[in-house]
Amino acid sequence: MIVVQTVKNAQRIVAHEPGAVNGQVSLEQKLGDARALVPDLDVYPAAPHEDAALLEQIGRWCDRYTPLVGLSGTDGLMMDISGCAHLFGGEAEMIEMLRARLRGQGFNLRLGVADTIGAAWGLARFGTQPAALSGGDLAPLLALPLEALRIDEKTVLALRRLGLRRIGCLTPLPRAPLTTRFGAGLLQRLDQALGRAAESLMPLTPPVDITAEKAFFDPITHADDITRSITLLAQTLVPLLEARDQGARALELRLFRVDGHRQHLIVEAAHPLRDPARIAALFRERIAGLAVDIDAGFGFDLVKLAVLRSETFAGTQGDLVSGSQNTDRFEALIDRLGARLGAERVRGFVGADTHIPERSFGTLPVIRMRGAAAAGSTAGALRVPPLTRPLWLMSRPEAIDVLAQVPDGAPMRFRWRKVGYVAARSEGPERIACEWWRDGRAAPTRDYFQVEARDGYRFWMFRHGLYDRERTAPRWYMQGVFA
Amino acid sequence: MHPQAADILDRLALTPRRGKAAPRLAFGLKSLDTRLEGGLIQGALHEIRAPTARDIGAATGVTLGLLATAVAQSGRDRVMWISDPAAGVDAGVLYPDGIAQYGLDPSCITLVTPVDLQTALWAADEAARCPDLVAVVLHVRGNPRQLDRVATRRLMLRAQTSGCTVLVLRQSGVEEASAAHTRWRVEARPSPPDPGFPQGLGLPQMALTLERSRTGQTGGWPVIWNPKHKAFAHGSKHIYTDPQVSVDRPAVSGHRPDRAAPLGHVVDLRRASTRRAPDDCGADGQECPTDRGA
Repeated sequence: MIVVQTVKNAQRIVAHEPGAVNGQVSLEQKLGDARALVPDLDVYPAAPHEDAALLEQIGRWCDRYTPLVGLSGTDGLMMDISGCAHLFGGEAEMIEMLRARLRGQGFNLRLGVADTIGAAWGLARFGTQPAALSGGDLAPLLALPLEALRIDEKTVLALRRLGLRRIGCLTPLPRAPLTTRFGAGLLQRLDQALGRAAESLMPLTPPVDITAEKAFFDPITHADDITRSITLLAQTLVPLLEARDQGARALELRLFRVDGHRQHLIVEAAHPLRDPARIAALFRERIAGLAVDIDAGFGFDLVKLAVLRSETFAGTQGDLVSGSQNTDRFEALIDRLGARLGAERVRGFVGADTHIPERSFGTLPVIRMRGAAAAGSTAGALRVPPLTRPLWLMSRPEAIDVLAQVPDGAPMRFRWRKVGYVAARSEGPERIACEWWRDGRAAPTRDYFQVEARDGYRFWMFRHGLYDRERTAPRWYMQGVFA
Repeated sequence: MHPQAADILDRLALTPRRGKAAPRLAFGLKSLDTRLEGGLIQGALHEIRAPTARDIGAATGVTLGLLATAVAQSGRDRVMWISDPAAGVDAGVLYPDGIAQYGLDPSCITLVTPVDLQTALWAADEAARCPDLVAVVLHVRGNPRQLDRVATRRLMLRAQTSGCTVLVLRQSGVEEASAAHTRWRVEARPSPPDPGFPQGLGLPQMALTLERSRTGQTGGWPVIWNPKHKAFAHGSKHIYTDPQVSVDRPAVSGHRPDRAAPLGHVVDLRRASTRRAPDDCGADGQECPTDRGA
């Protein structure tokens, strides 16, 4: 099987199976040449986007070995395993495990372990497998070809012409002439590989401060086991949160399936959380509210719980003595509803600074409500509030047929939703001008009327536009229902 | 389960215990509160029904009046308003400015908008267990099958345990057997004219009919909500003096010349024999004779 892509105006092989067709095809060979050698080639076009997505997925799967996994170019992954290798029995065992598991999933891979990003990059691509740089022994690195330094082709060619073929040839040379001849990039790459210059890794998932994980020898499949492990993990998180004087506002659960699939769930809380039982309860609701159940497959062998966002934790939680318990139960309810239905479905009113009725208020998820402006008109604060606003508002005003005096009389008869009404009494007009800075200067004025129909229904309707001045025949719209 | 057995179980489980005085939510109207033995029982399920979609304003008015009274009485100020997505299609959205003018602080209200009725019922069930809420309003449209006797019984039991009042606001639904302690029908009525401004609108008036209650009381009262005092008042039967014109067919329907004549109402004779229309009852708080059953 080979993969081809158009490079330099020709279809060229960009990837092939290891040892494909007895080594008769090679990289960068033209497809025509390869076909001539092997007529029945299995040819596939390159799909860079799918490749990138797959690589990222593998990277996220590697999250089980270390929290710091980053992409390295378009064809590699870089993992920072400092402090993680001993969890898997040392670097050599870890590499073997990684190799075996990814081979098992059908991937061919090359691995390199080194003290620096540059050295690992070179070892993985050009070293003899398995390539590991142990205990400051630089010999395997120095024996690598120059391409292993991540420098461009032109520089490699120029260096070759000078007879410099290996990295080891560069190290004894004086630095100043190298810089003047080849630029600062070459030496920087060399320093990065040798650990003389710093280089950082951009992780796929932002590293979280507080996290707990549990690996299982026997993969777990039951929902009860998952919930129990969440409680256990939450209990491990509590001392970490306490030490920082924090409570969790958002938590992420990552479930790693044996076959490499990875699922993650996020819950958010209205207030900082620290109680393991409540954290577990939130995830239970979240799982129960999933449209598609979690597919356990052959089971999960690793469960991670991470605090994505935390806030200073004020007071104690669930205290039976103090009065804080009251708000606590309400907050717990909000969190529970939010976990099952989605936080954006539990909302509260917030005000907005405009007179156009349908824009004068909004709703925000309660979880994000803190500090937002409260809703409610100033009229509500009056001692004798006039009832000028309806209880229900049509979010899209509905067109109605109205018989009214020209030019600015109140409605006398109208028809709304196929029912005719006769107006008995009315109040108005209340004129609300358009917001020219949003709707443009031509937007018509609204004249609102409160109308009571003869059978007792009270409506809020408006004429959209002034006669003659703005419209020849303004339309009427129903916008609300009073009590 | 045998229907009668269900009835008996309901009565045993859901009727408040004698001797244990459940807190009452008084309307503040003498005749109405006497009939209810002190007011609506808090920590119970009550149903407020708007027979047609356009009565939702009046039904919401009564609901908000009760909520405002309950908030003032209990000192708690959390109300959860759970809407079936089907209900919002006709009604629109709650307007916080209007609610504030009506007498309830809109910041008390937490809106819950689940994706379907099944999750709305679950949310109502969860909310009814929370003792910090003064009330839970479940706004549904029509008579959905999921909100049956079992579901309402669950809500009732939850409310009894927590002390949180659960109100089912049913929009354009017909009367239906449920485990609710009381069921009210609310219809809009013309407002009494304001003496200072007779051509304008007065205070909102509603016809409140107690269709069914667990104690067997029924009745009908015209009530007015007074946002100044945040209290209900007895309504008057205001009738327009000018002659009635054909309201059903106003002249605006120029593009529809021939409309069918309105059909008569379908009446359930068994129910009609035991129920009394609100218009039969006297105005100004006069009581109707008590009738049992329904």
